[in-house]
Amino acid sequence: MPESIIAQMAVSGALMGLVYALIAYGFQLTFATSKSLNFGQGELVMVSAFFSLTLLTLGLPYLLVVPAGLLFGAAVGMAVERTGVRLALEQRSEGWILLTIIIGLFLFSFAENIWGRDDRPFPTPIPSTPFHVFGVDVTPLEISVLVGVLAVMGMIELFKRQTLLGKAVEAVAADRDAAELMGISATRTVVLSYALSGGVAALAGILVSPITTVGPTMASALVLKAFSVAVVAGLESGFGVVVIGLFLGALESLASFYLGSGWREAPGLILLILALAVRPTGVFGKAVIRKV
Amino acid sequence: MLVVKSLHAGYGLSEVLVGTSLEVKAGTVVALIGANGAGKTTTMRAISGLLRPSKGEVILDGTPVQGLEASRIAQMGLAHSPEGRKVFGPLSTEDNLLLGAYRRLPHLVGFHAKAAPDLERVYDLFPRLKERRSQQAGTLSGGEQQMLAIGRALMAQPKVMLLDEPSMGLAPVIVQEVFRTIARLKAEGMTMLLVEQFARAALDVADYAYVMERGRIAIEGTPAELRRDERVVTAYLG
Ligand SMILES: Nc1ncnc2c1ncn2[C@@H]1O[C@H](COP(=O)(O)OP(=O)(O)O)[C@@H](O)[C@H]1O
Ligand SMILES: [Mg+2]
Repeated sequence: MPESIIAQMAVSGALMGLVYALIAYGFQLTFATSKSLNFGQGELVMVSAFFSLTLLTLGLPYLLVVPAGLLFGAAVGMAVERTGVRLALEQRSEGWILLTIIIGLFLFSFAENIWGRDDRPFPTPIPSTPFHVFGVDVTPLEISVLVGVLAVMGMIELFKRQTLLGKAVEAVAADRDAAELMGISATRTVVLSYALSGGVAALAGILVSPITTVGPTMASALVLKAFSVAVVAGLESGFGVVVIGLFLGALESLASFYLGSGWREAPGLILLILALAVRPTGVFGKAVIRKV
Repeated sequence: MLVVKSLHAGYGLSEVLVGTSLEVKAGTVVALIGANGAGKTTTMRAISGLLRPSKGEVILDGTPVQGLEASRIAQMGLAHSPEGRKVFGPLSTEDNLLLGAYRRLPHLVGFHAKAAPDLERVYDLFPRLKERRSQQAGTLSGGEQQMLAIGRALMAQPKVMLLDEPSMGLAPVIVQEVFRTIARLKAEGMTMLLVEQFARAALDVADYAYVMERGRIAIEGTPAELRRDERVVTAYLG
């Protein structure tokens, strides 16, 4: 039954793609407010996963590990902003690119020294015994990815639309100087966006760890694909990253099934190259609305 | 209310303001006029903190504020409606207004209810904004965007308001409406520093005026005095 196999492949792949979407969404959050992003985001995902794994092995219940991991990711995100981004932005330089890469390398060796180089399983109470829906097998673990990703993205989007603080974030994204004139501190808004971005990345790590295992290199491929998704979807559309993430995840899964597992990484890279060549603002990137 | 003492500021190595001094007394409207490139916008940016002055003082209601972040100065009661309006294009008209009152409102919940009286006041001043309250600000006409920029500044209930060329690029009818609004705000007791190309109209509404030339104040006086000054008449009122 090739159709059912295709469907099965597409569904599992698409759920993985949601993790790319979540990390891509984290890129969008900081890019919107500061036109900068953390090139060490993969390492942030990874140390947050290790941190959460440590809490789990210490016996903390999963339901407490998740918020603790999120807070840890947010704190690391704020530290990245403080040490790698803020000075460069104040001097209007592109120094944040190099600095965030260096912070990522530092986190990488930090993790190797503290937790070792081996990949470790991430014991989660969420079962991975599949059940059947619409002719496809899905596991509760995969459902947890779906729910986790959509819930946290939905909450952040609600925050941006329904609270004045969220609107202030949008205002800084639209016009930093004008926002300052309203009494909104652009610096603090950028810190907030890095905290949210770090929390989101940590959640991606926690959700994906039971599937991929935890190790120093666990997020390097992940973050590259998240970057493709962000570029293809445009650096401003939250809806776009979900669509493109689902699509890329499904495509990869099918590519590795039909062409061999060596082809798994190809669609992400091809998509990225095409997007950069054809539409540098992204498929879902809006043209700037301004009328004089 | 606002005192500026020998202010120096510029962009990079080029100094634009070379010792600008002016004063805006509480409850008065002061006009700042001058040719294009004289440094009027730079003066406003240096007052509100968008530009860090290299020398000089800015005193807001008795407190020196030079060198502070623009957001700090705004929180202390200075509202600056910038040249080119600078509304938040992707946000709705009403969200723009709410953000104007950011310094006075709770940031998570209940801000809408608390801002309701101020919103009503701005909508009363500009009924067109009420019709367009849920429209994206970037899609408003130039005149509507200018009303929004003024309304947004009013929402802060500021001690002093800086208005940088509110009539720029607008149709004559709308320009009249803008000046009527300024007159009405003045009647309500608002303290304002007004930069305008339409020097004649600006002098009509002002209590005092400064003429700026190449980064410093060249002439100052009451509107009646400036209207009698031959230099002013030939250069700005001709
Ligand atoms: N962002 C900027 N960078 C460099 N120079 C600027 C900038 N803005 C204005 N200037 C220069 O500063 C001078 C004063 O400009 P401005 O304050 O805008 O004058 P005005 O508002 O009176 O027309 C001009 O010579 C202008 O070229
Ligand atoms: Mg100007």
